[in-house]
Amino acid sequence: MNANEYQGSFLGRISIRRNQVVVMDAIHEQELEDIELFQKHVSDRFSELSSPSDDDAILSISWLRKLLDVFLCCEAEFEAILLMDRDPYQLSKPPFDRLIPELLDRAVKALDICNAVTNGVESVRHCQKLAEIAISALDQKPIGDGEVKRAKRALITLMAAINLDDKDGTNAKSTERSWSFGRRSGNKDRVAGQFRSLSWQVAKNWSAAKQIQSTIYNLVAPRGAEASGLPSPIYTMNVIMIFVMWALVAAIPCQERTGLPTHFPVPKQLNWAHSLIGLQEKIADEWKKKEKKGMAGLLDEMQRMEKSAQSLIDFTDSFQFPGDAEKLQEAAGHVAELTEICRIMEQGLTPLQMHIREVFHRIVRSRTEFLDVLEKGSLPVI
Amino acid sequence: MDKILNSEKSGSFPRFGKRRGKYELETSSFRLDNKHKEHDDDKVTGSDEISLEHGLKQGQVDQFIESLASAQDKSMSPEIPDLAELFLKVVNSRISTYEMREGLTKFGHNQEEDSSFFEAVTRLSKMVHYLGEFTLDSTTTGWFHRAKSVLHRAMSMLETEFQALLGISKRSFNAKVMDSKTPESPQPSVFNSNQHETKTEFLNFPPESIAIMKQVATVMIFAGHETECCISYTAARLNALDAELSKQGYENINTEDFQRMEWASQEGEIDHWNRIVKYLTTNLFPAERKLCNSIFEHASTAQRLFCDLATSVTIKLLAFPNTLLLIKQYSIEKLFKFLDIYETLCGLISGIGNELSAKDLIQETSLMQRRIGEAAVSMFCELENSIKSDNGRIPVANGAVHPLTRYTMNYLKYACEYKDTLERVFRQHNEKEGSTKQEPKNGESTNTSHFATQMMLVMDLLDANIDTKSNLYRDPSLRYIFLMNNGRYMLQKVKSSNDIYEVTGDDWLRKQSADLRQYHKNYQRETWGKVLQCMSHEGLQVNGKVSKSTLKERFKSFNAMFEEIRKTQSTWIVSDEQLKSELRVSISAVVIPAYRSFLARFGSHLNKGKQQEKYIKYQPEDIEVVIDELFEGTAASIGRRRLMHLSQ
Repeated sequence: MNANEYQGSFLGRISIRRNQVVVMDAIHEQELEDIELFQKHVSDRFSELSSPSDDDAILSISWLRKLLDVFLCCEAEFEAILLMDRDPYQLSKPPFDRLIPELLDRAVKALDICNAVTNGVESVRHCQKLAEIAISALDQKPIGDGEVKRAKRALITLMAAINLDDKDGTNAKSTERSWSFGRRSGNKDRVAGQFRSLSWQVAKNWSAAKQIQSTIYNLVAPRGAEASGLPSPIYTMNVIMIFVMWALVAAIPCQERTGLPTHFPVPKQLNWAHSLIGLQEKIADEWKKKEKKGMAGLLDEMQRMEKSAQSLIDFTDSFQFPGDAEKLQEAAGHVAELTEICRIMEQGLTPLQMHIREVFHRIVRSRTEFLDVLEKGSLPVI
Repeated sequence: MDKILNSEKSGSFPRFGKRRGKYELETSSFRLDNKHKEHDDDKVTGSDEISLEHGLKQGQVDQFIESLASAQDKSMSPEIPDLAELFLKVVNSRISTYEMREGLTKFGHNQEEDSSFFEAVTRLSKMVHYLGEFTLDSTTTGWFHRAKSVLHRAMSMLETEFQALLGISKRSFNAKVMDSKTPESPQPSVFNSNQHETKTEFLNFPPESIAIMKQVATVMIFAGHETECCISYTAARLNALDAELSKQGYENINTEDFQRMEWASQEGEIDHWNRIVKYLTTNLFPAERKLCNSIFEHASTAQRLFCDLATSVTIKLLAFPNTLLLIKQYSIEKLFKFLDIYETLCGLISGIGNELSAKDLIQETSLMQRRIGEAAVSMFCELENSIKSDNGRIPVANGAVHPLTRYTMNYLKYACEYKDTLERVFRQHNEKEGSTKQEPKNGESTNTSHFATQMMLVMDLLDANIDTKSNLYRDPSLRYIFLMNNGRYMLQKVKSSNDIYEVTGDDWLRKQSADLRQYHKNYQRETWGKVLQCMSHEGLQVNGKVSKSTLKERFKSFNAMFEEIRKTQSTWIVSDEQLKSELRVSISAVVIPAYRSFLARFGSHLNKGKQQEKYIKYQPEDIEVVIDELFEGTAASIGRRRLMHLSQ
């Protein structure tokens, strides 16, 4: 999916058209067509996201990057519809004098989420390093007690890091279980706990879950005459922004996710929203399953890492030199899986972080442009 | 001393597993055997250990290692001598001894004991490494795995110990040493453990603790446990940095809350952020760098760890300037706070230096800096817009200095205090635009200051605007007074500040002075030209005789004109005292001699008494008095004058 491709043709067409002197009706008609096209693109993009290939499962790193691309594309198109050659005065009248400031408020909230999630990627990277220790210990032949113990130590720390509570960086209840694997205690929790402290926070008492809740608050689909006009793409953009931020929070560890909403109302009869609603339901189901357990998030790679790590801990628990051939082979499979996950993380985490920052800056820029237009619109006409 | 050198040498081997080469073996002696007699507090295993270690002959272990390293044929399983078995037992029992030790730290009780232990572990990891290259038979494999187990046990203990040491500051270390009955350590005084101490607690590791950490790190990295070592180190230091920043009063603010603040509070937050980042750049980072360098002996590891740490902390701190970009950019007054941030970011970048490991950090910070710079440019350009759009139709009363002139000049004067920063900001901006925008004009030298160009543009705009405003005055004389007032104000501002003068330069001063002289001349001509005509000697004589009626007319019109000028121009305002006196002097110099000579030449032609009284209303001295009352803004304008003063 190429942002420029869509944007180029679309913008080009709009500017040619708007430069012509046309009667109001024709403008209106053209506008409806633009909106329809925009929503068709939204629909297409989300349907592509909801049937991912094997390489990018839903909520995997590469899928999240595609999602961010979708956001950037939709945002560019949306901005073009609303702002290109538009008389600023129009946007300062009802209902836009309410709708646009609301959108911009949500944009500001989204920025905090971007920051929180960028920090969260750091803790995924921390897990990656721990997994790499286990890999380097177990990726040897033959495996002896020394390697097994080394791997186990790293894996237990890894599990503790995975199960770290979002709130204050202390371990969630469920982690006590994984600690019991270790004979030694006292220092591991420090290593895991150390990683998320003050600087991990967006702000004191800030909560990603509450932030998402507040973006959902007051979101109402346009009705009546508004449903077919400009308010409708504004609503669409709101929904996309909320969905993207919500999915990021669900996937990547970040500050305080307890009580993350699992549902935000989008009327099913809206054609463009079908795939998006489907995705939302899928992710929400996953979240409900996992939420009680205390976990790193729904990031596909992290979930896979958790499974392999757990299996390997089981392996190290039962290991007695020289080890059972079948079990060794099984362990080798998990090591290969971990290796693959670490490779994906090594390649994908930094670009993902940069991608999130790009979204951040796009939101900032777009907000500035809207504010400019609003400012112009509120000036008296000379 | 000798021992320390030896242990360092062994640690300086390249890491195993990365690249295998022929290692030059150190020839230091194996010291396990002559050590533990000194400390008989390890009662539990002490005696066992002694008997075990007595079996180990100096150098034999090294010989074994050398034989492994130099073996040509690695397909044959090497023979494991008895002493190797003994060696494992010794190391294992030494680990037990350490593990059983109570107290905050296990090392640091006996330096020789520690060094010999580190040497032993280093030897063990060498054996494991070299043996790994062989094809092993079943007996050898058994020993090999036992060796790896012991090595792991040692590594586990070292890792735990490393973490513990990293978590201990000077005070608690001293306390610990005291507990473990080492008599030579100074008793921590109750008096110096108060405020002063807590203030400098950051990075206050005792040197002996740093020495131990260095040995531990060296051994761990040598044995291929670099990742564990680095993770522990990074986590501990990140925590310490966080705690320190928090102690300094730093707290992250989320965008939404910041957004809701008033500018005054935002300004406070900006100042606070600047202070914190400067503290980080000038105090914490150098200290961290030093610590890294003293614990990790490979420069590249130390550098990478430091850079990762700095990156981690900085990237989070950059969230704040990111938030700032949301502030409505077009308010001119915010420029200076943005420039403060820009300067702080410059400091940050130069503080980190040009290190490859900090590539991301430098890139992100420079990007941030550019964004802040762009915001600053747009704020400064907003000044241009506000000058252009200031086109009120009501002239300032009495030709006084226009508020726009005052505002702009004071702003520029303040801006010039930041001129080096603004120069960087504009250069960066122009470089970015340069490729797409206009080429520099012919003849314009490329090393012209970017900021100066920008500032002169503002001054020109102001000039043009003032010129337009001057046309609002119907009286041309007042128009020139207005131009003089404003021009003079600009000139004085430039002259009064070296910062601004350096930017404008002499050319501008010369041109401005020339303009002012011209306005002055024009004023003279407009106001006093006609007055002087009245006093012209020409046209008064008809056929060689002075025409009385013409003379009377002349006096009448002089009186009327002079009276009118007195009335109007004493309400006009020239606030610059020097300009006022220059004006008066030049008026007096033209008018008084002319009047005096006119009076002397023709006054007597009027009849004494009534006629003279009627037509000669002013004596030359009176003229001087009147001129000295001009431009005082008296009478009608007093009320306004007060207002003007308030707005200065």
